[in-house]
Amino acid sequence: MRILRLEEIENPELKEIYEEIVKRFGDGILRSELIAGNKLHLHVEKGFLRKVSSHIFDELGAFYCTTAGVDERPLGGGFRAYHIFSIDEKNLFIVVSAEASPSLPRLPSIANDVQGANWAEREVRDLLGIEFDGHPDPRRLVLPDDWPEGVYPLRKDFRYDLKEVPRVKKQYPMRRPEAEEYVMPIGPYHPALHEPEYFRLYVRGGRVVDAEYRGFGVFRGVEKVAEGRLTYTQIPFIAERICGICGFTHSSCYCEAIEEASGIEIPERAQYIRTIMLELERIESHLLWVGVACHLLGFDTGFMHCWRIREGVMDLCELISGNRKTYGMNLVGGVRRDITEKGREKALEYLAKMRKELREISEVVSGMSELTARIKDVGILSKADARKLSVVGPTARGSGLKRDVRVDHPYFAYGKVSFKIPVYSEGDVWARLMVRVEELFSSADIIEQALEGIPSGDLMAERIEIPVGVRGLGVTEAPRGENIHFLITGAENKIYRWKVRAPTYNNLPSVPIMLKDESLADAPIIIASIDPCFSCTDRMVIVDEKTGEERVLGAEEILRLARRGEIR
Amino acid sequence: MSRFTLLKKAKEIGVITERYPYKPTKVPEGFRGKPEIDPEKCIGCCACIAACPPNALTSLDENGYRVIRIFYGRCIFCGRCVDVCPEKAIRMTEEFELTADDHEELVQEVRLKLVRCSVCGRYYDTERHYRMILKEFEEAGLKVDPEVLRRCPEHRMGMSAEVIGLRRVRK
Ligand code: SF4
Ligand code: SF4
Repeated sequence: MRILRLEEIENPELKEIYEEIVKRFGDGILRSELIAGNKLHLHVEKGFLRKVSSHIFDELGAFYCTTAGVDERPLGGGFRAYHIFSIDEKNLFIVVSAEASPSLPRLPSIANDVQGANWAEREVRDLLGIEFDGHPDPRRLVLPDDWPEGVYPLRKDFRYDLKEVPRVKKQYPMRRPEAEEYVMPIGPYHPALHEPEYFRLYVRGGRVVDAEYRGFGVFRGVEKVAEGRLTYTQIPFIAERICGICGFTHSSCYCEAIEEASGIEIPERAQYIRTIMLELERIESHLLWVGVACHLLGFDTGFMHCWRIREGVMDLCELISGNRKTYGMNLVGGVRRDITEKGREKALEYLAKMRKELREISEVVSGMSELTARIKDVGILSKADARKLSVVGPTARGSGLKRDVRVDHPYFAYGKVSFKIPVYSEGDVWARLMVRVEELFSSADIIEQALEGIPSGDLMAERIEIPVGVRGLGVTEAPRGENIHFLITGAENKIYRWKVRAPTYNNLPSVPIMLKDESLADAPIIIASIDPCFSCTDRMVIVDEKTGEERVLGAEEILRLARRGEIR
Repeated sequence: MSRFTLLKKAKEIGVITERYPYKPTKVPEGFRGKPEIDPEKCIGCCACIAACPPNALTSLDENGYRVIRIFYGRCIFCGRCVDVCPEKAIRMTEEFELTADDHEELVQEVRLKLVRCSVCGRYYDTERHYRMILKEFEEAGLKVDPEVLRRCPEHRMGMSAEVIGLRRVRK
């Protein structure tokens, strides 16, 4: 047990924060440590968990990032929950953790004080079996409905290669519609994003009065596979496959976390290459979304043009990396592939063309009143709600929150380039659209500067040694917002714990707020406006209006019914 | 600016969709397509297998042979096998159209003969690797008793330091 002494903290702002915390909660702090100069870890007595968290969230104005649960029994402890907070404007992170007993793991819930923690605590409960006392909505979150109670897949005594788990018959308890309320399911696939999601809208006369979300239809447990089977150098490849649109941000984030935890200094050229690829990925992702938004609004010409422009960046990435989308360039310690002179030339050529064409399209779009009327003042997320839920990325920046990891916590070469971060205060679909469109230009700025300033040199660090039992926190700005990878290194070239929190996780809980009191016809574009990244599933819920009974249908049954025209 | 701007633009650009699959499409240099092992070069060291993230590469020692196998149904075309192969026996081809009727069409196998330990008789290395080491000793002007090299690592224990200490190092 060690408590950090004040003199050990160099950063004056952090020193002040730490001093105040020690003064207020001194007895409750069991251990503290500082990682990489700006990440303060506080191990607190569980009775202090709520107080310390509220202090950080309310009084220090921190944003809530996520909660990682870890089974630390093999390390001689119990179960531990790490609540991660970010103080954006000071480039600081505070990680507050508390240990629950190995036999009866219980911790006080912080979700009443920090609303954003609602999902993450439910996930920890599902996967590790820590009960959070006082949680406002302790329903299941990530595990499927028919998964048995009391089987926790992320516990260390659960084998990663277990083939069969006995299934139970159970239904997810959705809220029942009240009198005169109708249920309108949107899902199991989003009409335009072609990804699984299930929104249950409660409708009264064409207006949405409430909404519920049930997702995680394809929770596949990549964290478990990584902890069970993969080596450090293999994980970037599974990390990149977490998302089919912004995978590179995940492999970068993972590498950043390991490199920071192990003190590996990656060569400058590798940092620039990562930055360039991350921005190319953002261009690809945003253009895809702008196209889809046009399509959802019935403007298919815009959709076609956006995707035509996007095709150029896909070709460019294929030229640089060997694949359109999975670049596969990251390894712990650097990158595997260089950007050649030809790649550089093509990139500059593309960016110039993209700027010009994008300007044309955005002028057309903003001039079409029938289009803008459908997105202005629609799907509003207020700044206060955005802050309460700690939403991230363009969703936050469209609601007046100026937060962007690239500037708040600069990583790779972002500290060496200058660019504009668009912020809009309207909080509607239009604001989120404008943020993304302007960000496309910012990305072009970043890439051009990076291609200009990129130094020559090695691509991989010389010494790559990963110590056992260190904690790393990687944070990147994905196209959809802040992406977090928290990890603890293990023995035998394997990771002990790897927790991934993609940006949509923090943004989705804001959708029911945006949907409230909107007209049903606007629901698809509102849902799409956070640019959600769901994943694939094959289930849907049918509610029998007369009996109120619910059935879950499989893909085949859905198809059969749909062909016979029986799904209404 | 009117919405006809984009229509005009479309007219100007013309058709850009390709006639794929009726017309073949070109991939750029350095494209990561289907990996292929050169059966003449592979020495059966299994380095690629240890590196392969999704276990698309496997090996099996059976009836005096080592079979190195790639199953393209699992391959993610990362090219890590190419990175680590000491013999440069694997390369990423430009092939990416891998649809098949049968699992077995999506497999490449390389069979390499194994050698036995002269003490315990168990198979311990591929013949190609064994010969290669012999040759390298020769080229380095070092004399080794081939019998010593014919022993499995376990039965080489306690032999002279020079022999044990000599490991193959590639530049
Ligand atoms: S390309 Fe990657 S996945 Fe495919 S065989 Fe090689 S290492 Fe395995
Ligand atoms: S392909 Fe290369 S790495 Fe794989 S077994 Fe053969 S020689 Fe070794």
